[in-house]
Amino acid sequence: MSIRALIVDDSSVMRKIVERCLRQAGMDLGQVHEASNGAEALALVNENPFDLILSDINMPVMDGLEFIRHLKEMESGKNIPIVMITTEGGEKSVLEALSLGAKGYIRKPFTPDQVKDHVIPVLGSQS
Amino acid sequence: MSTHTQSPAGNNAAPFDGWSSVLRESVKEVFSLMVGAEIMVPDHADPPVVTEVTGMVGLAGELCGVLSLRCGNGCATKIASRMLGVPISEAASHMSDAIGEICNMVAGNFKAKLNGMQDKCMLSVPTIITGGDYQLFSVAVADRIELPFLFDGDAVWIGLEIRA
Repeated sequence: MSIRALIVDDSSVMRKIVERCLRQAGMDLGQVHEASNGAEALALVNENPFDLILSDINMPVMDGLEFIRHLKEMESGKNIPIVMITTEGGEKSVLEALSLGAKGYIRKPFTPDQVKDHVIPVLGSQS
Repeated sequence: MSTHTQSPAGNNAAPFDGWSSVLRESVKEVFSLMVGAEIMVPDHADPPVVTEVTGMVGLAGELCGVLSLRCGNGCATKIASRMLGVPISEAASHMSDAIGEICNMVAGNFKAKLNGMQDKCMLSVPTIITGGDYQLFSVAVADRIELPFLFDGDAVWIGLEIRA
């Protein structure tokens, strides 16, 4: 079955690159939804079932860490695996994202293989 | 663009020795991985400075300053085209977004390579200026690194102003 993915980043270019990396990694993606901040993403989670969320941290309106906090409080969102993709790859950001419930962490710049290596185990852990 | 700087500490301060090579490596990695094309270091003479698009990201914390990218419109559009995998004709509207992301990733990659700096330095949201008829004033600049590159034959200049 195709993977229903949500990509959250304030850069439309980066959203396209992440989607391309997922496809280049051989993942069977269905329709990919996009959001430019955490608030938009929460609205989409309310309306759509997702198997995977990839999210930036530094975004206007609602950042990625705040997004995870809200997501984990939602019945429709608390079990969706989320992987962070961000330039802020410091230990503090990593630990905070993981403590909030993120399943993985990818630092920009990245390769399609790095995306695949972080995403596949996360999807596997949900089955 | 012309640059005017008040620099009480002067240039070539010892703490910044070796940062040019770190910045050069950071730029090359970002282009190789995220643009999908190699950016070259010129063999001989520096390429001309063409300032039609300027991207900037601020750094704040223990490392304080501004990272900038300057290039021509055509070059910026080519970078966006390569990043998105779309024809040049479709890439123009994504030019600013692409250049902003490049600046963001170069700055993030650079600070990640500096030992212990990752958690002690924050990045701003990128700013893009289109057009070259402007002046940039900086205060308290301790050092400045300017690195020339060639992307598909076009000049790209990466700058890092480090504040005291």
